[in-house]
Amino acid sequence: MTLWPRSLAARTAVVLLFTLAAIQVAGLTIDALDRQDLQRLGQIRDVSVQLATLYRAIVQAPRSARDKTLAAIALPPGMHAAIRNQTPFDAGGRLPLAPEPLERAIRVAMYLVRMPPWQRPHQIIMRGGLASERLLVAMRLPGQDGWLTVSTRLARPQPWHSPSFLAAFALMTVAAALLTIWAVRRLIRPVRTLAAAAERLGRDVNAPPLSEDGPTEVATAAAAFNTMAARIRRFVEDRTFLLTAMGHDLRTPITRLKLRAEFIEDEEQRQKFMADLDEIEAMVAATLDFGRAATASEPAAPVDLAMLCQTVLDEAADVRPEAASSLAYAGPAHYTARARIGALKRALGNLVNNAIAYGGGARLTLVPPERGGKAEVARIEIEDDGPGIPPADLERVFQPFQRLEASRNRETGGTGLGLSIARDILRAHGGDVTLSNRAGGGARAIVTLPV
Amino acid sequence: METAQHILVVDDDREIRELLARFLERNRFRVTAVRDAREARRAWPHAHFHLVVLDLMLPGESGLELARWMRSQSDIPIIMLTAMGEDTDRIVGLELGADDYVAKPFNPRELLARIRAVLRRAGEPAVRRETAGAAALCFAGWTLEPARRRLLNPDGVEVALTGGEYDLLLALVERANRVLTRDMLLDLLRGRQAGPFDRAIDVAISRLRRKLDDDGRRAQLIKTVRGGGYVLATSIERR
Ligand SMILES: Nc1ncnc2c1ncn2[C@@H]1O[C@H](COP(=O)(O)OP(=O)(O)O)[C@@H](O)[C@H]1O
Ligand SMILES: [Mg+2]
Repeated sequence: MTLWPRSLAARTAVVLLFTLAAIQVAGLTIDALDRQDLQRLGQIRDVSVQLATLYRAIVQAPRSARDKTLAAIALPPGMHAAIRNQTPFDAGGRLPLAPEPLERAIRVAMYLVRMPPWQRPHQIIMRGGLASERLLVAMRLPGQDGWLTVSTRLARPQPWHSPSFLAAFALMTVAAALLTIWAVRRLIRPVRTLAAAAERLGRDVNAPPLSEDGPTEVATAAAAFNTMAARIRRFVEDRTFLLTAMGHDLRTPITRLKLRAEFIEDEEQRQKFMADLDEIEAMVAATLDFGRAATASEPAAPVDLAMLCQTVLDEAADVRPEAASSLAYAGPAHYTARARIGALKRALGNLVNNAIAYGGGARLTLVPPERGGKAEVARIEIEDDGPGIPPADLERVFQPFQRLEASRNRETGGTGLGLSIARDILRAHGGDVTLSNRAGGGARAIVTLPV
Repeated sequence: METAQHILVVDDDREIRELLARFLERNRFRVTAVRDAREARRAWPHAHFHLVVLDLMLPGESGLELARWMRSQSDIPIIMLTAMGEDTDRIVGLELGADDYVAKPFNPRELLARIRAVLRRAGEPAVRRETAGAAALCFAGWTLEPARRRLLNPDGVEVALTGGEYDLLLALVERANRVLTRDMLLDLLRGRQAGPFDRAIDVAISRLRRKLDDDGRRAQLIKTVRGGGYVLATSIERR
């Protein structure tokens, strides 16, 4: 069904509003029927009292003055009265007999109005009623004085037609609807919080736990979620601990080997030996970085992002002077943002080093968020002119220890951790990094960083 | 020839101790190598050491405590060997007044360069008094925090520096208003950088000027001295 909304809040609101509307309608109908009965009773009472008082006024007037008296009485609107000699209703035979309650009410009224018993009408004939909206009553005057006939209009009761009624109904409906929507939103909020927390956990295992208060069901769900998050965290921590413990333990033997290398007489061999050791050390460093990215404790502080980008390039140039001429920065000279500078430097450094290692150079572009733009996100692009990355592998290379066949064959060294470290760090900043291939060939890393 | 300078090496790994001693001796230093804080304290009164190479991860009494004790005894320069990437160790060590640090696993030649640079610096008494233990060095609105190895601009925003740039700036700040010769700069950068050092100095200086917003041609802060050398022309405030 296309009209059925997708969000739980909207669905709940719709169901509640329909229920509310049904209850309103039922309640109003019952009320209206009641009112109709009430109105009818009132009408009957009014009419019978009017009839009785009119009759008394006529019967107590002197016989000769009756016509004048009748003319002088101000009858209520819709009522006509006449004094006749013959039995009335020769023509009114078409009207049905009056309903019994009406008839009884009128007869009772005749007794309730004070007058001597002999003045009471000798005979009452009634036709019509509420259904036909007309009532004809003929009351026979005592003696041979003829009949007092009265014809009156009985208005059909109209319970729906009170002027304040519609306004009240509209007001009630709107108020109830607003209240319902507000309440539903409030009740549904924990579900949204839970979804947001799951999202956050996916990006950062160290995201703060959910608060476990609120309604029982919500608190239970939050507690279950927190337990799950804690288990995932412990799992990640254990694995990372294993990795870093290995890295730590490797430092002593590597230090020894580096010292030993100083005693190798053959200079060429010594240099090769050192190069191998540097490679091993780089792997250990990457492993330790990987462990640390998950448990970052560095506080965020204002950082000149433009300078940081340039420093990353400068550092790469210091380490590999042969690539210095193929490194370029484009962007503002200064741009301040909050970041964990050490971690961010490592993340960008890994991307720049990849561009140099696999693409022969790096062009880094910093694009600050557009002025007045909605999302305050800075973008950093790192491009190279290398072979790029097969489209199927664009995501896979972010997994730890994933290296592409081509790079393994080229013996560039590396552990396959660089990209996953970069992504961990950037996601912990609330940003991300993705890879794509440039139209002109070469790879492009796109970093987003909320500022 | 001057008498060899005496270095105390404190490291718990026997192999590293012996290899480091051999390596430093070959580079014309006298070396005493001990395995922990107790032995270091025992050796302390028997010799006049010029510098200590101290591993922070020692069994028993920690390297940090030993460094604190040594600081209370004398002004001796200390180079710490820290675990790779353990920033907190490094920061605490430098705050305690260690003169420099080298991360393990270190390149022996880099350690040698650091030892020489620190010894040279220790030979200039005025320099040591100015920076040892200072939490922050302020100049022309900028703040250099030696313990955290970071530079803050006048707005308190951190401006990233490469390792070489930081060493260079610290050297300039420590010797503000005094000329830093090219020889001293070469010393600083050796072991940090590959390639021809001569050019590296000019590159690093021009980068530093850019980062300090010091226009290259009319540089006010880092001035070029004719005949080779640079001077930081500003007063320094210690905090
Ligand atoms: N700019 C690039 N151009 C081509 N391939 C790349 C690029 N960046 C990364 N890769 C591929 O992604 C793999 C994983 O990269 P990374 O995680 O940094 O690990 P490492 O560089 O240690 O191999 C690399 O081995 C390489 O095959
Ligand atoms: Mg890499």
